[in-house]
Amino acid sequence: MELSTEKIGDVTVVTVQTEILDASNAEEFKTAMAPILEENNKVVFEISQIKFMDSSGCGTLLSFLRQLKSSNGNLKLCRVQEPVRMLFELVRIDRIIEIFDTKEEAVKSF
Amino acid sequence: MEKIKPLVLIVDDNSTNIDLLVNTLKNDYRLGVAKNGQKALDYTEKHLPDLILLDIMMPGMNGYEVCTKLKAATRTKDIPVIFITAMTETAHKTKAFEAGALDYITKPFHTAEVKARVRTHLSLKKAREHEMYIASKIQRTLLLGQQPRDINGIQIAQLTIPSQKVDGDFYDFFKLNNQCFDLVVGDVMGKGIPAALLGAAIKSHFLRVLIKLIRLNDKKEFPDPEKIISSVHSSMIDQLEDLETFVTLCYARFDMAKYLLSFVDCGHMRTIHFHADSKTCSLLRGVNMPLGFPEQEPFKQTLVSFNPGDLFVFYSDGLTEAKNQDGVLYGEKRLVDFVQKNATIEPKELINIVRKDVVAFSQSDIFDDDLTCVLVGIEKKSTSQALSDKAKLEIKNDLIELARVRAFVRNFCENITDFSLDNNRISLIELAVTEVTANIIKHAYGERTGEQIQINALLLDDKIVLQFYDWGKEFDPKSVPLPVFDGSQSGGFGLHIISHTVDEVVYSRDDKGRNCVCLKIKLIRED
Repeated sequence: MELSTEKIGDVTVVTVQTEILDASNAEEFKTAMAPILEENNKVVFEISQIKFMDSSGCGTLLSFLRQLKSSNGNLKLCRVQEPVRMLFELVRIDRIIEIFDTKEEAVKSF
Repeated sequence: MEKIKPLVLIVDDNSTNIDLLVNTLKNDYRLGVAKNGQKALDYTEKHLPDLILLDIMMPGMNGYEVCTKLKAATRTKDIPVIFITAMTETAHKTKAFEAGALDYITKPFHTAEVKARVRTHLSLKKAREHEMYIASKIQRTLLLGQQPRDINGIQIAQLTIPSQKVDGDFYDFFKLNNQCFDLVVGDVMGKGIPAALLGAAIKSHFLRVLIKLIRLNDKKEFPDPEKIISSVHSSMIDQLEDLETFVTLCYARFDMAKYLLSFVDCGHMRTIHFHADSKTCSLLRGVNMPLGFPEQEPFKQTLVSFNPGDLFVFYSDGLTEAKNQDGVLYGEKRLVDFVQKNATIEPKELINIVRKDVVAFSQSDIFDDDLTCVLVGIEKKSTSQALSDKAKLEIKNDLIELARVRAFVRNFCENITDFSLDNNRISLIELAVTEVTANIIKHAYGERTGEQIQINALLLDDKIVLQFYDWGKEFDPKSVPLPVFDGSQSGGFGLHIISHTVDEVVYSRDDKGRNCVCLKIKLIRED
């Protein structure tokens, strides 16, 4: 899975370059993120390209969140598409992870 | 090209009289001769003469009986008959007219008189025929509407058999949009050109009223049928009263989006509604008086819902009042029974067999009245829809197949018509099927690969039904712990998502060891 990262201050913005995040590639996503999470504890996911996510995708995000929080960091999301937003509301991720409309707002929130 | 001379039949048992008449008429007409009543009837049936000169006093069947028989048969009743008689008493002449004669000539006759009377009656006959020609031309061109095209889910077939006396049957269609059209079927009291012209006038009144009412309406909504009828009635009542006639009609609006018929019936024949689900017929009758009755209650429309496979039969009294040789009417009951028995036949074919049945019943293809019948069939589902009504997908138990399952379900959803199913709803359905399939792939077959999962998608009435079959180990949803939403756990959301994205989830296992997850999604009809 392709990820591009950008460092803004001490925040790392990860742009997820996939349209789908489901059970078929959640593991791949985890593997790709592992080295980034090793070195950074303030991460913003820019997920505007993701059109579809399932519970596995959510689970992956939550496991990232736990890992970052354990190293005194945090995870924020920005630019969430409507179907993904509906899923987040369904599993109440929107109450646990902060979601922003723009990358700048997400970065600033740390 | 020389015009064919009219054919005159001379009926007389006296050779001298025959010779005299033949000599008088032979230069101007083709002639036939019959020496008794039965031969006259046979000849007439075979050659349909333009005029008959009929002697009264004949051995066997007399002239009155011959004339009565000719007048009783649809084919021969309009042939002018002139009696030739030696009897001068008024009583005999009266009897002749009562039997249907147009005129009489007393013996001994003058050749000039015979020639003049024959000529007069032939030209009157020609004039009547010409009127009928014009009337039937009006009927064919002005009274019968073109059926609408491109209305989704509907099949229309119409039948008209004009009688020799056009009597102002009319029908027309007004297409409002791709899912909605109006049909008006009516019958003007009276016959010939006046009835035909009035029928044509009424049709144009409908168009005018429709346009006016649509223009007056700011929201561009279509005016209700009852409003249309009221408006047409008030704009025509003076004319109808002047002409001392009235009009029976049924104005029906088919709304294919709501599967709803709203109709205003004004004393017309009862429309037959065949119900596909119960295979029975009901008769639609409104509460309104015919147009042209001066004191009217406000016109009221009636609502009837219909379903795929239903059929509506609109018709004129010419159909149910078609008579057989014994004077028995075809009748509403026979028509209802016939429709009920044959309603599953496509309208275009059904209309042909309705025609054949009426013709077989009356043993004639010539009718006293115009015969009109319009069938409106609600399509079951077209072939292309039938494919999308039921679809099947087989996949292997590999997570890579998830994308295919979503594409399959999305495609199925997007091909559903008549229901509103927006993109967000489809996204949620995609989510549900992903969760179901991922669970089966991850858990049903343990470590085994290359195992099969089958997915059926069906459209049942107003529901999407999705069935997921696997032949793996049994699954008990109660064994799965409830999800925790505090972020402390990464899993356990799947079942929660499924039950919150569809209307019903049923997990089952049959005796062959096949597991089934069945999802039901209720749909809302498009407005």
